[in-house]
Formats: sequence, structure tokens, C-alpha cells
Amino acid sequence: MMKALRQEAAKLLQEKRAALIIGFAEREGHPALFISKPEDCERLFYDVSCRQNLAAYLSKPEVSARRPVAIVASLAALRSLVVLTAESQAAPGQVLALAVDKDAFLGTFDVAGAAELLRSKYPDLGPEKALLERVGELSKKSVVERAAFWAEEFAKCTRCYACRAACPGCYCARCIVEKNAPQWVSTAALGHGNYSWNIMRAFHQSGRCTLCGACEAACPQGLPLMVLNAALDREALEEFGARPGYDPEGKPVIGSWSAEDDHSYMR
Amino acid sequence: MKTEKADVPTPTTFEPRITAFVCNWCTYAGADLAGTSRLQYAPNLRIIKLPCTGRIDPLFVLKAFENGADAVLVSGCHPGDCHYTSGNYHARRRWTLFRKLLALTGIGDDRLFFSWVSAAEGQKFADLVNDVTAKVRKAGPFQAAHPGRKA
Ligand code: SF4
Ligand code: SF4
Ligand code: FES
Repeated sequence: MMKALRQEAAKLLQEKRAALIIGFAEREGHPALFISKPEDCERLFYDVSCRQNLAAYLSKPEVSARRPVAIVASLAALRSLVVLTAESQAAPGQVLALAVDKDAFLGTFDVAGAAELLRSKYPDLGPEKALLERVGELSKKSVVERAAFWAEEFAKCTRCYACRAACPGCYCARCIVEKNAPQWVSTAALGHGNYSWNIMRAFHQSGRCTLCGACEAACPQGLPLMVLNAALDREALEEFGARPGYDPEGKPVIGSWSAEDDHSYMR
Repeated sequence: MKTEKADVPTPTTFEPRITAFVCNWCTYAGADLAGTSRLQYAPNLRIIKLPCTGRIDPLFVLKAFENGADAVLVSGCHPGDCHYTSGNYHARRRWTLFRKLLALTGIGDDRLFFSWVSAAEGQKFADLVNDVTAKVRKAGPFQAAHPGRKA
């Protein structure tokens, strides 16, 4: 698998179909690797412990200045690529994906090809069962117990914003937490500011999150961010049929509407 | 000997503070109609008027809870009646997901209410406020222990 991935990456550079390859390094922690010489492709690596979503780099100016770019992309990262394209954040034709899944190299795809691959072979990607069980268990608790659970979790947050940096969906040049006139979200790493921050981070990804898990993997404090992401993912699917990352021309769930949307909770 | 001071709230005198975010064109006008019709309703609501429900950022709700609201009511024009055509349709999608996120993190539907009230529905507005107030009274004060509350 690694051999095919390295050869294909080197070929993209040689044929000038890509000016930059973003992949994972072999050394400990598998940090992101930025390659522009074919011979360096020998240093590429992939296995399931590579938890970063490399699509997050696509919106960085340093990277977009070096297009065309090819990224090593897991299935979730492929979905992120499709989401970014739908949101006009990745120019089609400027981004390629070296698709990987667990221990297989799937080939090189442009965005349309990636969407086609996902639709035909992986039409049902969603949260893992264990994660859904966690959401289910939490939902069964009383509101007071749920508040207590999150009070304890959010108290650990140091507001490092590593979760935001890791997420391909968090590409705003100026995030709401950095706006201070007025100060919408308290920046102190304390109760209510942490609550607002974590709620808004999750909410702004609703209907867009591809469940790649990069945010949770990046969190140095071990917050269970995927519980929030998974719950919102299921809700957006049930309510609005949202399957982010399958249609490069799809409309975001929030930002579009239908007169038929359910509102049984409205009084 | 005096055993009670009038300004010390006891559980039986809990008066909920309810923040209402309403749109200018329907619910605010409905509230106005309730007033000019001299309908009596619970005085627990603090109304904040926005141009349209589409302008009600979910952060407003969090801010209200941070700063002492025991409950939040969000209300605007009925579907199809939005002054700006589709603001309430956009808002509805946001609320559908946002209320689930809040429920999962400890703010349930006994503290977060949504409604459509038109400019002609003064009576509906009065009934709504009474009903919501009764529900929040039952739910009790928003817990100081909730992470979303300012310490
Ligand atoms: S919110 Fe987390 S899981 Fe979802 S796309 Fe962003 S980094 Fe991935
Ligand atoms: S990565 Fe974790 S600690 Fe850092 S801001 Fe995000 S949730 Fe908080
Ligand atoms: S103006 Fe009332 S909801 Fe838009």
C-alpha cells in the first residue's frame, strides 16, 4: 500500500499534476509532511493512526499559493474535500486526493471523482457504533445529569483552539471567539466561556462535519468532542437528510431551507 | 420577631426571568396588541426586539442564559409570513439543530421555547407567556451549576 501511495505521489509531481503533496510523515506522531520533490515521496506514510485531516490545510494561504495540491485523504478527508468544494473553498481542478482507507491505497481522484467514489462505494458513512452508543447513553440521562457531565468536561478546556485549527470546516479568517466588540464569547478558560465556545464550535459544524475525528484527536485535554459532532450529524440527517461530503454542488443544511421542514416543537 | 424579609426569595416566591427574542413585524406587534387590548399576562418576560427571527443568532440565547435568564423564548412570524420572505425558514433550521445540542448539554425544552405569533394574535401571545411562565416556574431557577451560567 505504502509503495503504491509513494509511487503515485512521485508521479503526480513529475507530471506536474501537483506542485505540492501533503501527506503524513513516518516519524512518531505522523505529523503532516509537505513535499515538492518526487524523491521525497519515499518519506510518505499512512496508517489508521494518522488522525489529522489534511484537508484543513487547503484553506491556508501558504498552501493555496502552491496549487495544484494533492493531499493524502482518508474517506472522511475526501468528504471534507467535497464539503470545501461545495462551500467554494477549494477550487475544483486545483486539488487532488490520494485516497486511502485503512490499509489500502484507492487511487488519485479529483473532487468529482472523490464524490463519485464515496457515493458508489461508501454511501453510508456515519458515526461509529460505539460513538452512537455514547450519545444514546447521555441522552437517557436527565438534563441535570447532562449539565453536570458537560460542566466537568468543558472545565478541562484550556481554549487552545487546537480543535479549531485541526478542522477543515473551521476556515473563517476571523473566528467569532476573536471578535471582542462586543465580546460574544468570554475568552477566559472558565465555565460559561468554555460552554459558549464548545457549543458554537460544534454548532457551526452542524450539517458540515464529516466526522473525521481530527478535532478530538488534536484536543490536548481529551474532551469528547465527537459526542457533540455525532449527535448533530444524526440530527441533521434525520431532520434534513443531510449527508455532507457527497455532493460538491450540494447546499449546506444551514443556509438553505424547505417549507416542509418539521416544526412540531414550535408553539 | 420578623422571620422573613420581603426581598429574600424563597422557593414559593421564585419569579422566573424569561428573555424573549422576537421579530419586529409579527410577535412584537402581537405583544403590542396584547398590551393595547389590556390583556393580563405574566410580567416575567423581558422582550428583546430584532428585525427578523433570521437575525437571532444562537449566541443570543447563550448570552441570555449566561446573564441570568431562567428561560428563553424565541418567536417570530408564521411560516410564509416573514417580512423578509424566508428569515424564519432559515431560523427554523438553526433552531431545530441548536435546541438538540442544548438539550444534550443540559438546557432542555422546559427552558427553551419557540413559537410563531402573528401581529393579530394578541391573545395567543398572552396565553403563551402565561403558559411558558408556568412551565418555568415548575422547572425552577436555571441551575447555578450549569456550565453556561456566569459564575
Ligand atoms: S468538527 Fe471535528 S470531526 Fe467534524 S470535520 Fe471538523 S475536525 Fe472533523
Ligand atoms: S482543543 Fe480541546 S482544550 Fe483546546 S480549545 Fe478545543 S476543546 Fe478546548
Ligand atoms: S420578519 Fe418576522 S420572522 Fe422574519
